Amino acid sequence: MSARRLGRPEVLLPTAAAGLTVTAFALLPAYTDAGLSSFDVYNTFQIFARLGLLALALGLTMIAGEFDLSVVGTYALGGMLTVQAGQEHYAYGLLAAVAAGAAIGLVQGGLIAGLKLPSMPVTLATYIALLGLTSALSGGLTKTYSNAAVTLWVDRTVLTYFSPRSLITLGLFVLAAVVLSLTRWGRELRAIGGDRRASRVAGVRVDRLLVGTFVASGVLSALGGSLLSFSLGSANPDPGVQPLIVAAAAALLGGVSLTGGRGNPLGLLGGIMAVALLTEIVTVAALPAYVTQLFFAGLLGIIVVIDAPDLHSALVRQRTRLRAGTSRPSPAGAQPGSQT
Amino acid sequence: MSSASTTAGGELVRVDGLVKSYGSTRAVRGASFGIAPGEIHALCGHNGAGKSTVVKMLSGQEVPDGGTIRVGAEVVDLRSRQVAQRGGIALVDQELSVVPTLTVAENLLLGDIQASWINRRRTSGERFRTLLDRVGLGHVGLDQRLSELGIGERQLIEIARALGQDARLVILDEPTATLSDVESAYVYTAVRSVAAAGCAVLFVSHRLGEVLDLSDRVTVMRDGAVVATTPVADLTIDSLILQMLGEAPHRLGRRTGRDIEGSAEVLSVSGLTVPGRVATFDITLRAGRVYAVAGQLGSGASDVLRAIAGLVPAATAGITVDGVTVPAGRPAAAIKAGIAFVSNDRKAEGLFLDKPVSWNLLATRLPHVTRLGVLDRRRWSAALAALIDLCGLDGRRAGHDVGSLSGGNQQKVFVGRCLGRDDVRVLLLDDPTRGVDVGGRAAIHALLRDAADRGMTVLFSSTDLEELLDLADVVVTMHKGVAVRRHDGDTAGSVLLREMTHGAATVTEERR
Repeated sequence: MSARRLGRPEVLLPTAAAGLTVTAFALLPAYTDAGLSSFDVYNTFQIFARLGLLALALGLTMIAGEFDLSVVGTYALGGMLTVQAGQEHYAYGLLAAVAAGAAIGLVQGGLIAGLKLPSMPVTLATYIALLGLTSALSGGLTKTYSNAAVTLWVDRTVLTYFSPRSLITLGLFVLAAVVLSLTRWGRELRAIGGDRRASRVAGVRVDRLLVGTFVASGVLSALGGSLLSFSLGSANPDPGVQPLIVAAAAALLGGVSLTGGRGNPLGLLGGIMAVALLTEIVTVAALPAYVTQLFFAGLLGIIVVIDAPDLHSALVRQRTRLRAGTSRPSPAGAQPGSQT
Repeated sequence: MSSASTTAGGELVRVDGLVKSYGSTRAVRGASFGIAPGEIHALCGHNGAGKSTVVKMLSGQEVPDGGTIRVGAEVVDLRSRQVAQRGGIALVDQELSVVPTLTVAENLLLGDIQASWINRRRTSGERFRTLLDRVGLGHVGLDQRLSELGIGERQLIEIARALGQDARLVILDEPTATLSDVESAYVYTAVRSVAAAGCAVLFVSHRLGEVLDLSDRVTVMRDGAVVATTPVADLTIDSLILQMLGEAPHRLGRRTGRDIEGSAEVLSVSGLTVPGRVATFDITLRAGRVYAVAGQLGSGASDVLRAIAGLVPAATAGITVDGVTVPAGRPAAAIKAGIAFVSNDRKAEGLFLDKPVSWNLLATRLPHVTRLGVLDRRRWSAALAALIDLCGLDGRRAGHDVGSLSGGNQQKVFVGRCLGRDDVRVLLLDDPTRGVDVGGRAAIHALLRDAADRGMTVLFSSTDLEELLDLADVVVTMHKGVAVRRHDGDTAGSVLLREMTHGAATVTEERR
């Protein structure tokens, strides 16, 4: 990989974030009393499986230059539908969740693309509505899933470190990475996030693509909710805002730009793995939970500063001054680089 | 090209009686012309003549209100960009339409309806290299991000994309406005070679020398209608300008009672440079005068103003206001020194569209209407009444959101915000009447003239000849980043237009 390519934010940020956390994880025995076991790695992938699809769903809409706040609502509804429709056979539950996710994405995408609405308010309204709907479906109570065979299956250990659940999540990341980097759909998705007017003039079907992205986001978050319900053997009507915050942090750590057009699923994978590792480190080292929050806050602060356009123009200005200062012979006594 | 794919007159593309209105404005009123296979056909006209609207209708971005477009023998209905592409029409848009976050290869494929669903790097790589070589970008890597390239190179990528679409008609809307001579030469060669292969080319340009050099026939539009389509052999720069302007007298008059050099020097700019945009630019402005920098898109006129206002970080210049040095590249320092700037993009860089007129007008003078940091209602009302009166706005609309006003009135608010203030010494306006109707334009001109009479120094940039002649005491023409000449009154409009579109070359130096 060339130095220029490594310097791009969507490669640099997740590499740095994942590299730092992997190092911290590997060195855990050196600075705590805790030893590391293969179970800790397995656990990290379980945390990844819990939040990964949510981060992927949000990340895809961010790459397209939008922001889907409703992912957590769809996640909750997907989990609840899985439990309620899947008592007889898990496939019915899975199907109900995925269909609901697709329908939610279709409606939101249609509104956003068709009426040229900003995605924040639309998806915020959907988020609130979906939480309400989920509560209504469950009567506000946590619902248990009685098919223990499925619960045992999704979390059983595979190849020492994985479970079927984490492998499915990983597989979806790889699929998304392939679609985004190797297909026309992926190229156009990044294009509409980078410059929507230019894409339209170039002949990209912007509106269709936006609807498709929201459908993908809905399906992925619903699926994430389903897998979590299978794993826990229950569904909670309100997962809170924590998953959304963590997913957004993972997307930013993964090098996805808030302004759109930049990012890829492998970067996202790096971002969410960094989050999962950190959570596991805090658990193993028995550190207080606030350490995670402070660490994330610091990390996000650094990323935002690196991405700031004003910092960029200040650097350009400084460079111009320095160049002008060296190329122009300065009058006697004058500071090099000072303006005349 | 087989004869079956052309119209009865042997033309590949033919438009007849195209009409398009935006609201009450008729942008195009009956445009008709045809382009033969292998022909390079230029479309010329002054600003607002309707060229861009014709291009939008031909490329599927706007649907005509009336008239027909024929491609080959059949009448086509170009509802979208995709339909136009399928009909064999490729476009290089006036505004840069490549995506900076994608790579060169990805941009070359963007929007191509023939592109496969899976990226095939091996098979397309060679084709891309040929395309890039054709526009002189042999040194650019296919995996390079567009954000790493310069503006000229990005424009060339867009041109390469259009040329690579195997189109029957390639439309180039001002493709060379932002390019250097060397880059333009590559574009000419590439355009000639696609035409030689039988493709029809529609070429829109403000650079008249380039039009005469490159094209076979020239269609001139004025006020939304076609004036004439003439073979290039029968045209000279001057006859082309005559077609564009009509017979009406256009002259920059020496305003009576105005001695340009008589008043005090206010702003002095020396050695202003913007890398890649402006070579060097010097100007000295005196109190109570209206100055203009005249130049087409890409001439650097707009960059000069933005640089003086401190908005270009990469600019270097020696700027003084009343003898005091103002550091370049710092907007806050420029404002403090008394330089006010009115952008050509009032929506993004000027007004708070969802806030009332009153807020917008007083936004820049809050210290004058507050007492100890708290708004003083009496001062506020007095200042507002004075400003509304000064700008000729309707006082009853002071509470309405600016976004609900017409373009002309929005611009009045934007300009009015900088008037009647003692701390503003120099008012810079980038294209002060962009998107403003005739009535609003006259009012804004009166406002600026009045401000100059009260002692303010005004410097504006414009591409519009009428505006330059109406408003300016002194006009500096610009072409390709260099100031061509300074005119202190009494100059024919055709001379200004010639310098803006053609540079400093004199008649004897030219081919024609």
